[in-house]
Amino acid sequence: MAQIPVQTIHRDPQLFYWILIPITVVMILTGVLRHYATVLMATEPKKQELPAIREQRSLLRGINLRTNANVISPASFQARKDYLVNAYERGDFLKDPDKKGQAAANPMTDPAAMEGMMGMMKGNMAMMIPQTLIMGWINAFFSGFVIIRLPFPLTIKFKSMLQAGVGTRDMDPQWMSSISWYVLCIFGLQSVFNYLLGSDNAASQMAQQMGQMGPGAGAQMFGPGVDPDKQFKAEAENLSVLAHEYTLEGVEDRLLETVRV
Amino acid sequence: MSSSLSHPPAHLPPAVALRISQQAPITLRNPPSVISSYSISSLWSAAETPELWTEYENLMLSCLRTGDEQSAHLCLERLTERFGAENEKLMALRGLFQEAIAKDDAELKQVLEEYENILTKDPSNMPVTKRRIALLKTLDKTTEAITALNEFVDSSPTDAEAWAELADLYVGQGMYPQAVFAMEEVLLITPNAWNIHARLGEVLFMAGSTGDSSADKYLGDALRRFCRSIELCDDYLRGYYGLKLTTSKLLSILPQASRQSKSDSGLALPDLKTVERLNETATAKLSEIVRKSVNGEPGWGGYEQAEVIAAKALLDSSAAKTIR
Repeated sequence: MAQIPVQTIHRDPQLFYWILIPITVVMILTGVLRHYATVLMATEPKKQELPAIREQRSLLRGINLRTNANVISPASFQARKDYLVNAYERGDFLKDPDKKGQAAANPMTDPAAMEGMMGMMKGNMAMMIPQTLIMGWINAFFSGFVIIRLPFPLTIKFKSMLQAGVGTRDMDPQWMSSISWYVLCIFGLQSVFNYLLGSDNAASQMAQQMGQMGPGAGAQMFGPGVDPDKQFKAEAENLSVLAHEYTLEGVEDRLLETVRV
Repeated sequence: MSSSLSHPPAHLPPAVALRISQQAPITLRNPPSVISSYSISSLWSAAETPELWTEYENLMLSCLRTGDEQSAHLCLERLTERFGAENEKLMALRGLFQEAIAKDDAELKQVLEEYENILTKDPSNMPVTKRRIALLKTLDKTTEAITALNEFVDSSPTDAEAWAELADLYVGQGMYPQAVFAMEEVLLITPNAWNIHARLGEVLFMAGSTGDSSADKYLGDALRRFCRSIELCDDYLRGYYGLKLTTSKLLSILPQASRQSKSDSGLALPDLKTVERLNETATAKLSEIVRKSVNGEPGWGGYEQAEVIAAKALLDSSAAKTIR
């Protein structure tokens, strides 16, 4: 099989200084800027009123009792169970007892929920706008430039990825266009930002997208649109069917078996 | 800053706290980059860490403990500069500072009034609520402190610290059933905390020593609590100490205790043989701990000196009794 001759393209070395480096520098600077913009735009978490805190923590108390019931004596457990089940069923711990039994408010009309959505919007905006601007800038000035030759061979499949904006059919996929370099920068600058801004920075889009995928489990539990009364009823049910098993039963024999003097 | 600064200073022995606060002027010489004047290098320097501010808080507490009010004030100022005067935690810290520099009860009452003003504006300010309770305790208004704590645990029943404090206050008043209840709440939040198990055992032991009708039931519970604390933490000195005390007491009352009285609720008292064996084990373990800790054997350090001395005294007194 005949050896395929190595393609050589004579590029102006100025391409390197005036395209490759500017794109990289601009990407890094935008990342830093985005980080600080996000920090500035972040709203403080809204303070909760005392009844709301009471509602949440009373529910947590029931959950604690359910999971750790075995450390207290059967009599103590029974007393607590009776108290909590009664209080849960009457709705004593509710934030506003008058609203008991009504359907949960629509999360869209709840101002607290709107706040959270605004925060998410802001984060999205801080990501979208610079990206659009830089893409436009690169398209306007540098589209169609082949700027770098990768030092390793690649198959033809990579052509569409690495030579975006260059419509040359026979060019070796090792050659890379400016737009592809930009795309590579988006994904590859994470470690640079980590070095510059610390590990929990807001500069990288990847981290932000990850964050949107899985919001914290705690937010789900007390999030908007969840009816606390239903939660209390469910917890009362869980508590009342719980079988109690006292840990301290026979602990002295267990201890005598394990301790060797 | 040294690593011991990242732990709350209440757990530090006095010598370490003193050393930390003596180094405070050196530590505080350079303000952190975040609040110092703007420079281009601050744009690139690593972001501030939460640990830095924890260290400032702990340094301030250590300084207050050792009477270095100037350094404490500097810490407070820098914290205020960073987080603003309206921050809940800072309001409590500032109150703490004022409490520390107050000369007499009249000034303390002024601080108390300030707390109450803050709390009428914002009743959900947890740190200040806690400070107010602590100050009530300082002013010897125990009943008011108990009432305030009861309100606090009603709105925040998952706060182990508050429950423990409440139990402590009840013990001080001799209200043991209430104290036991509060300690059990702490255990429900932290089910494997051996020190809390031992503490509950101590409260039960105190309740059992008052000499009312259900004393032996309390002592049986106390015995089991101490056993559990040792089960959770091997060679736990406090647990063995309590176990020895409880078993000695039980041995003196078990023979004449009526068998019927304990079958109504809870577990029956352990039989005489078990209690005797537990007593022997506790004595042997205690003497082993004391011996090895005094000799400074590797792996046996870390016991608090006062506790080792107390254990030795207990062993000596029981030995004297047997000889007699």
